[in-house]
Amino acid sequence: MSGSVNSGYERLFDIPIGPQHPALKEPALITLKVEGEHVVGVGLDVSYNHRGIEKAAEYRTYVQNLYLIERICGICNVAHTLTFTQCVEGVQLKDAPERAKMLRVLVEELARIHSHLLWLGVAAHEIGFDTFFMYIWLDREVSLDLMEAFTGNRITSAYNIIGGVRRDLTPEITAKIRKGMDRLEERAKFYRKIVETEKTVISRTQSIGILPPEDAIRLSAVGPTLRASGIKIDARADDPYAAHASVPFNVITCDGCDSFSRILVRIDEIVESINIIRYCLEHLPSGPIINRLPRRVPAGEFISRVEAPRGELMHYLRSDGSDKPYRYKVKTPTISNLPSLVHMLSSKGRYVVNIADVPVILASIDPCFSCTARLEKNIGTYGKS
Amino acid sequence: MAMEPFLSIFQTFIFPGFLFFIGLAFFFEWLDRKFYADMQSRVGPLYTGPRGILQPIADFIKLMIKEDLTPKYADKKIFNSVPVIMCALMLTAITLMPVMGNAGIISFSGDIVLAITAMTFFCILVFLAGFSSVSRYSAIGAERAVLQLLGFEIPLMLSIVGVCIASGSVEIAGIVSWQGSNLWNIAGPQLLGFIIFLVAAQAELERIPFDIPEAEQEIVAGWVTEYSGRKLAIIRLSRNLELVFISALAVALYLGGPYGPLVAGAEAFLLPLYFVLKMFLVLAVLVTVRAVFARVRIDQMVSFAWRYLIPLSLLQILITVLWRAL
Repeated sequence: MSGSVNSGYERLFDIPIGPQHPALKEPALITLKVEGEHVVGVGLDVSYNHRGIEKAAEYRTYVQNLYLIERICGICNVAHTLTFTQCVEGVQLKDAPERAKMLRVLVEELARIHSHLLWLGVAAHEIGFDTFFMYIWLDREVSLDLMEAFTGNRITSAYNIIGGVRRDLTPEITAKIRKGMDRLEERAKFYRKIVETEKTVISRTQSIGILPPEDAIRLSAVGPTLRASGIKIDARADDPYAAHASVPFNVITCDGCDSFSRILVRIDEIVESINIIRYCLEHLPSGPIINRLPRRVPAGEFISRVEAPRGELMHYLRSDGSDKPYRYKVKTPTISNLPSLVHMLSSKGRYVVNIADVPVILASIDPCFSCTARLEKNIGTYGKS
Repeated sequence: MAMEPFLSIFQTFIFPGFLFFIGLAFFFEWLDRKFYADMQSRVGPLYTGPRGILQPIADFIKLMIKEDLTPKYADKKIFNSVPVIMCALMLTAITLMPVMGNAGIISFSGDIVLAITAMTFFCILVFLAGFSSVSRYSAIGAERAVLQLLGFEIPLMLSIVGVCIASGSVEIAGIVSWQGSNLWNIAGPQLLGFIIFLVAAQAELERIPFDIPEAEQEIVAGWVTEYSGRKLAIIRLSRNLELVFISALAVALYLGGPYGPLVAGAEAFLLPLYFVLKMFLVLAVLVTVRAVFARVRIDQMVSFAWRYLIPLSLLQILITVLWRAL
């Protein structure tokens, strides 16, 4: 102990969030350089769970791949199988029957509801509002039970298959879904009321993680993250797939550009999905639910876009005439949102980010890191590399 | 006269002494968890004992037999002694609580100051625990604990000062007996003070919305991150004791201590019963607050305390002085 105060005392130090941390349910490392409570730099490493699914897809037949692709992401599995089947159908220049297309929309929106409810619960948990979290996850059971009744499974539904869908809708399940939608709509409105009126929620999320529209476009954000910056882009409306061309719906946007508006956008999307499901149940065309397609796919390539719950999902297929893909490429929504995430976290000179805001901002893009592990390099303003 | 030392030992160690309060601490944890779970439409502890009532004790025993790790670079003397001091501090302070009558096991003029000091010391121990762990999460947690102390300590003290002025005593026994012969403090102008006390207590106890020093989603477990095994068990016990202590203090200062409708001959049974029942009431309020809010940020907490709590507690003292003068 020299007794003198060292004027060059380093006040900056690193706080690692992850790869194992209570705020993260998946492996990712966010290194925060902090000065007291303020974050001054951020490094991001998402390559903890590279599973090599794209390569594995080249060794499997299309039918086997259906179940492999489904496992890219547990929560958005419906979106992944939908994109995959659309790719395979697209290369063959065939289409699913009209009834199957409508059923695909139905199951997709059901999955969106449960994904958004899951996210809403996680977001509540990140700001320490555990009661809200528990309430939401209890109501999420409603959508999961409907999913189980409809497709046979709660999460990984394996509902979309090449050429159509696996199960038809029975009148009993239609009635069940109608009832469940009424309940969920009422709850979604209740949640919106809570979010809009609860002071602690507002103070923790408003003006946190600001992403102005021009930055959102420049950094190619997708999904609710983009729409919360007031930009009306939604693959369902811009590039209608399945039966979306015949189903009217509103693209939900919000001008807040912050975490608070991302919550509002997602709650409103739940309500919008409920309306889509009701419309689908009303206007379900009759006919077959599957077009049997050959196992071998002619040579060609196809890109398919789907609006997954987290944002735009893109799959690319190149086939060489065999029963296995020549190349398969997946672009998940989270990877598109990562530059925006880093932009929101590294706020130098724009606004102050506290350590307490980091989980909120992180959650606000609805990250799914396991689908994202494509990189070997750190990105961010600060990091190992 | 031969019974005197035995009675004194019985009072200190069994009832209403350490054993009673430690048992109450476990019971409070169960009640807290059960009530919190109920508000969140969960079931809470269920399997250990009837309706899971033995779960806190099971947790305690489990932690006691777990491996006890000390970080390599921790300041070992401080790191190891903090849990013990914490527990001893709370057990000392809790003996001031008037469970059986006007006065607790220990009572002297100015004992309310000791009660306040115990609460402040608890925070300083939290800081020492986090600081000596030499961990990044603990360091941030310790820093937040002290910042939080700056926010809630003054309103907490001022609200207690209001009680002292109203009842004209700085002794818990005096405050309780004043409430016995007059109105309970909560019925007078002290209602505002009671609310301020509860808000500050929520921060002292590090519960939502003020569980900032151990915000799980941000800094893992804050200042307790590096504690494990026996030390963690003792820390958890001291925090439950703190919960009991603060509920008991609220009862003694605002809810008329152990007094209530009495039946002749049953006072020895009824007084502690009333005291504990009133403590449940305070706990119910604390759990409700914990269940209906989100966690605030540290800067929001401190500015809330200085903008609203402190002016309000000054206003409350002013009202009390005027009320006394009339």
